[in-house]
Amino acid sequence: MTESKLTRRDGALLLTVLIGLIGVYSLSRWIDAHRPAANRSIEQEELYLNAATVKRLSLGFNGLAADWYWMRSLQYVGGKIINLPDNVQLDHLGQLNLKLVAPLLDAATTLDPQFMEPYQYAAVVLPDVDAGEATRIIQKGIAANPLQWLLYHHLGFIYWQQQDFKAAGEAYEQGANLVGAPQWMKAMRARMASEGGSRDTAREVYRRLCEEASDSQIKNMARKRLLLLDSLDMQDGLRKLMAAYQSKTGHCPGSWREMGSLLNASRVQVDPSGSPLDPAGTPYLLVPDKCEVNINERSEVPYK
Amino acid sequence: MDTTQAAKFPIRSETTRRGLIWRTIAIARNAFREAVRDRVLYNLVLFVLLLTGAAIFIGELSGGQERKIIVDLGLSAMLLIGVFIAIFVGVGLVYKEIERRTIYTIFAKPVTRGEFIVGKYLGLCLTLLVNVVVMGTGVSLALIYVRRGWDPLSLSIWPAILLIYLELMILTGVALLFSSFSSPALSALLTFFIFIIGHFSADLKGLATSMGSTSARWLFGGLYYLLPNLTNLSYITPAGHGQVPHVSHVAAAILYSLIYIVVILSLATLIFSRRNFK
Repeated sequence: MTESKLTRRDGALLLTVLIGLIGVYSLSRWIDAHRPAANRSIEQEELYLNAATVKRLSLGFNGLAADWYWMRSLQYVGGKIINLPDNVQLDHLGQLNLKLVAPLLDAATTLDPQFMEPYQYAAVVLPDVDAGEATRIIQKGIAANPLQWLLYHHLGFIYWQQQDFKAAGEAYEQGANLVGAPQWMKAMRARMASEGGSRDTAREVYRRLCEEASDSQIKNMARKRLLLLDSLDMQDGLRKLMAAYQSKTGHCPGSWREMGSLLNASRVQVDPSGSPLDPAGTPYLLVPDKCEVNINERSEVPYK
Repeated sequence: MDTTQAAKFPIRSETTRRGLIWRTIAIARNAFREAVRDRVLYNLVLFVLLLTGAAIFIGELSGGQERKIIVDLGLSAMLLIGVFIAIFVGVGLVYKEIERRTIYTIFAKPVTRGEFIVGKYLGLCLTLLVNVVVMGTGVSLALIYVRRGWDPLSLSIWPAILLIYLELMILTGVALLFSSFSSPALSALLTFFIFIIGHFSADLKGLATSMGSTSARWLFGGLYYLLPNLTNLSYITPAGHGQVPHVSHVAAAILYSLIYIVVILSLATLIFSRRNFK
């Protein structure tokens, strides 16, 4: 039977462990605090292994490896935009030098070709970074999942963003012919052909993106784009009212209050100070004496 | 298995088939008890912690893909932990008996070497079965927790779990085969190689077809058919998308595994029967 009472030696050993752990903690903090800052100009940003090699080495764990690359791509983009203003849009990240996002999404989709979310992310985030890679990844997805109409929607979305309405229409047409494709894919094809660059088409594209997206970031981006489109329509309406005011009075309004009756007659929602509200509920800014309207910086509606 | 434990189980007849089954079951039960005594099932605690952590935290990191990730993570962990158990416990099954010299006591009784090998194998397979069933239940419960209600994935993952179990059964047999003539360290290494090569089978076949010389083609073609093709049993990734393998695929996989296991155990018995313990 072993002695259960703590001896002095046991106490000394426990104390050594405790002191050792405190020492390790303190030293780690010191090292972290004194580590020289990484030189961003020489810092390499690339994947050590390409997608095909990773797939070969994954030993049947390719689904898990795909999840890892997917989460890494989310963290990578998230890490780059964390210090940017709140109203930064996922589809306008070109200036951030997101070199790794294409290889990360490529790896995730090579490891698990049926994993749909990385394709959607590629369709939304990549075109502004590397449109060629975005198209290639989606086309790779179509080759692996030829019956997935959603991938044609993503491809059409990329072409539409590039203002290649003919290619976008073709993508929607191909997707519309697949079993299970919703009716709106066919309508989208017609819309791309007749009015690809219109605001109504944009509204329809973002509405469908918002409906089909499972990622909250993409849903949020599409929702904000819809707010922007509504806001642009509203701004056009306000400009018309200002033009009417100007033709009546001979000058542009100096404040929203001066246009109170016109705004009321047009049933424009206003706040207690009389300023018209944008679709997110924030007052528009009037550029005094210029007959111009601007989005408030505090508004959830993006600038572009 | 020591003398007293061996004596607890009925060793009825040396010649009858029923006696053979009883003796094999007795050895299997002891191998299972030994694994439990060696705290092999403690890995379940690690698995539960991993899955609980994933179910709670992965939602924030995965962009709404927590269900797929729980399936991938849970089934991959099940396979990986199972492979470690199959390799490290499997290679010690025979060696420990020789090292402790308890093998003399066992063979002093009317137990054949074949019964010993098969009994040990079944004992470890039972340990792995308990592991896999508990882990599978854990994954299903995690999915129900994440979905806050019934999730069809919690049921559709079970065919993939069956395939994982078949893969573990093959690897246990391979570990036992190597340990019947080699040291534990070398057996573990060789079994791990087989696990890796088993997942590179497609490359072996590709290599065989792309080779210029006939002998090289025969060599790689032979290796492709000789070594276990574990990719046939790999269904974790599609299971994450809610896909269920076709019945014919599962039936063929079961048959393939059973035939392979019979071959391995026959080989192991053949080698072990000729082994001199002196």
